[in-house]
Amino acid sequence: MPEKSTGTNGAAPASRVSRRGFWRTLLVFFALIGPGIITSNVDNDAGGITTYSLAGSEYGLTLLWTLIPITLALIIIQEMCARMGVVSGKGLSDLIRERFGARVTFYLMIALFFTNLGNTISEFAGVAASLEIFGVSKYLSVPISAFFVWWLVVKGSYKSVEKAFLAACLFYVSYIISGFLAKPNWAEIQQAVLTPTVSFDPGFLTMTVGLVGTTIAPWMQFYLQSSVVDKGLKAEDYQFARMDVISGSIIVNIVAFFIILLCAVTIFQAGVKITSAKDAALALAPLAGKYCTWLFAFGLLNASLFAASILPLSTAYTICEAFGWEASVNRKFGEAPQFYGLYSLMIFLGMAVILFPDVPLISIMFYSQVINGIVLPFVLIFMLILVNDRRIMKNYTNSRIMNLFSLVTILALIFLSAAMVITSCL
Amino acid sequence: MTPNPNPQVFLFLSQILGKKILDANGRKCGRVLDLVISVAELYPLVMGVLYRPPGGNTPQRLPWNRVREIRDILSIDVLQEGDDAEGTLKEGELLLKESLLDKQIVDTHGAKILRVNDLHLLRVNSSLRLVHVDVGLRGLMRRVGLERATEKFFQWFFDYQLTDNLIPWRVVQPLSSPDLLRLKISQDRMAQLHPADLADIIEELDINKRTEVFQALDVETAAEALEETDPKIQVHLIENLHPAKASDIIEEMSPSEAADLLGDLPKEKADGILKEMEQEIADDVKELLVHPEEEAGGLMTTSFPVFPPPTTVKEALNFLRQEAENLDIIYYLYVADDQGHLLGVASLRDLLMANPEALLADLMESRIVSVGVDEEKEEIADIFAKYAFKAIPVVDGQRHLKGVITFRNLLEVVAPQLGK
Repeated sequence: MPEKSTGTNGAAPASRVSRRGFWRTLLVFFALIGPGIITSNVDNDAGGITTYSLAGSEYGLTLLWTLIPITLALIIIQEMCARMGVVSGKGLSDLIRERFGARVTFYLMIALFFTNLGNTISEFAGVAASLEIFGVSKYLSVPISAFFVWWLVVKGSYKSVEKAFLAACLFYVSYIISGFLAKPNWAEIQQAVLTPTVSFDPGFLTMTVGLVGTTIAPWMQFYLQSSVVDKGLKAEDYQFARMDVISGSIIVNIVAFFIILLCAVTIFQAGVKITSAKDAALALAPLAGKYCTWLFAFGLLNASLFAASILPLSTAYTICEAFGWEASVNRKFGEAPQFYGLYSLMIFLGMAVILFPDVPLISIMFYSQVINGIVLPFVLIFMLILVNDRRIMKNYTNSRIMNLFSLVTILALIFLSAAMVITSCL
Repeated sequence: MTPNPNPQVFLFLSQILGKKILDANGRKCGRVLDLVISVAELYPLVMGVLYRPPGGNTPQRLPWNRVREIRDILSIDVLQEGDDAEGTLKEGELLLKESLLDKQIVDTHGAKILRVNDLHLLRVNSSLRLVHVDVGLRGLMRRVGLERATEKFFQWFFDYQLTDNLIPWRVVQPLSSPDLLRLKISQDRMAQLHPADLADIIEELDINKRTEVFQALDVETAAEALEETDPKIQVHLIENLHPAKASDIIEEMSPSEAADLLGDLPKEKADGILKEMEQEIADDVKELLVHPEEEAGGLMTTSFPVFPPPTTVKEALNFLRQEAENLDIIYYLYVADDQGHLLGVASLRDLLMANPEALLADLMESRIVSVGVDEEKEEIADIFAKYAFKAIPVVDGQRHLKGVITFRNLLEVVAPQLGK
């Protein structure tokens, strides 16, 4: 994540928007996009793709409709983060530390570290799985990709990192192409999206919770808010941040939509049982052609690498911000030891766990999901308190309607998180 | 005299917050919410305690001279009429927890932005003073409630004695409110930072704090810091200022820096500032603004020493003594005729070694290396590298002296391309 000095990219063009015209507005929008779209795309990581494939291949088209409320929830939550970033000029962990004190922040950061570590491990598992489809051993692919990710941030500058990340977002198109390659019946899909199916089958409920959990994760709020702050947006530019967040949230769910659809019309209809994203990719070859498998595997590789770069970075940044340690990709190692230490440690652990023979990957994922589910409600409640604090938000606090919407969303998410933690512990 | 049963002279704020307050009659008065200090002194004195009385909602304030003892509980005298006041602050007072704890500060000695983990207070007789700010791991773990455990862990695992990382209050600049920054004491502290360090700190702050800190600086410090700041942030800082204040600051900058900055501003804003500036400086800057930033004309400065040929060494040195502060370069003295044609150059070294009555015309070197106003920065860099000059004059087609490029001006445009 960038140092603040690189962050005013958006400030200069935005100030010249006084003579508003459509093209000018569009230009400003493109200068200011980034945080929302990047965050949302990282969200479609290895864990996300796995969940979407499983949802499609086990429940066919019946879960597609859930993407609509998920998109809305994502927009509501992310919009609050972006607004807090723009108005306060501070990151979320910074605000939490100043408002709720050292003790709460300390335990929150520990939990965040572990849940993000779990996610990082699953990203490297995704790298290993996707390259195994192309016949590359994980003992080769994982160390190389770990080094690549580490090098990109430690040796590169933030500008190049951000460009690399924005370019990576384009590769998600591969899932949309694979979706079309499967030649789905569009009328049937329209029907499935418009008529919500609810079943009280425990498997169905768990899958729904999984979909929500993978789309709305605690780390995202921290990452999004910090990137918005780093962009240096002013309160007047807030509308662009909102457009960015909304487009990001929609894009992420379009990708999710195509993955579920692809698996539903191929694997589910053929009645094949799969347990991972790798299974899904392999199962596609006889059903939709080998190009489809390759595109799917390539998408998984891109998503895993992308998230494997952002997650450790975001974690290190968030924790350093909370404790007041120097944190910036534009500093040298010795100037920001805690930052680079944490960042390198996460990548190293993420890689080492995957390379360790007979690692209990399933239970690691499971505990990381549980911690995710426990941390999320706290983060959301803190956010709601902060976004209504007039000293921080001035005239940009939540309106009554917005509070109602966010409260409903947060309660629903807390309920689902609790359901996930409880059902997975039983 | 009985020995003091409580010999602890240093206290941490975290150890006082939340303590129960009991008066001499054993009546419970509530818990400590915050401490009020008066920032005017070098080591601020604690003036009062903010507490919430049982059953009450609004915090009340009691004067520190009512406090008798701080142990597991805070013992106070029975409160009298008038002691109890609403928790409002007087001029120059601030709340320790509210404004400092967990907030960011600038360590003006180490030139770093840090977060306050705890505050270190000293007891002198019955009064309490803020002496240090704790920014270390130990302070953080004390707040978390794991100080002992962390200490033991470090001792056992690294064989390392965990120590406090304390910063003396006199070098600390709090950032939490604009009011704090406007204090005289704050301006002095910020001005002690090297301009380059101050610029780094301004760049590192968030977008709101950046403006607050910058606007709190005096004109001279602000100008020095601004010269060292990233161009994008310069623009942001100046845009938020009133043209009159902005022009005061820009007048203090070197003309070439000022021209670069004004060139980056939106046209109307730049014109507004130029109008407010002193005529003479504004003209200099306008002349520089004509040239593209990457060419000789955009790099050069117009504040350099220039003399007619019959000037004596003594006169030249006297001029330098008076004007050195306002000149961007003093090492070379340029000699030009009354139409402004460049005739020669003499170095400060030449002058110091020469007879005070000697004329510059006899002393000067007339084989001059100069560049044209539209020379590209790469060519200029080559010339600097070849001749190892500290500055190179810029002339137009008729050899009129237009300005001087100092090595520093060149470095600013070339440095970003140096193996970064």
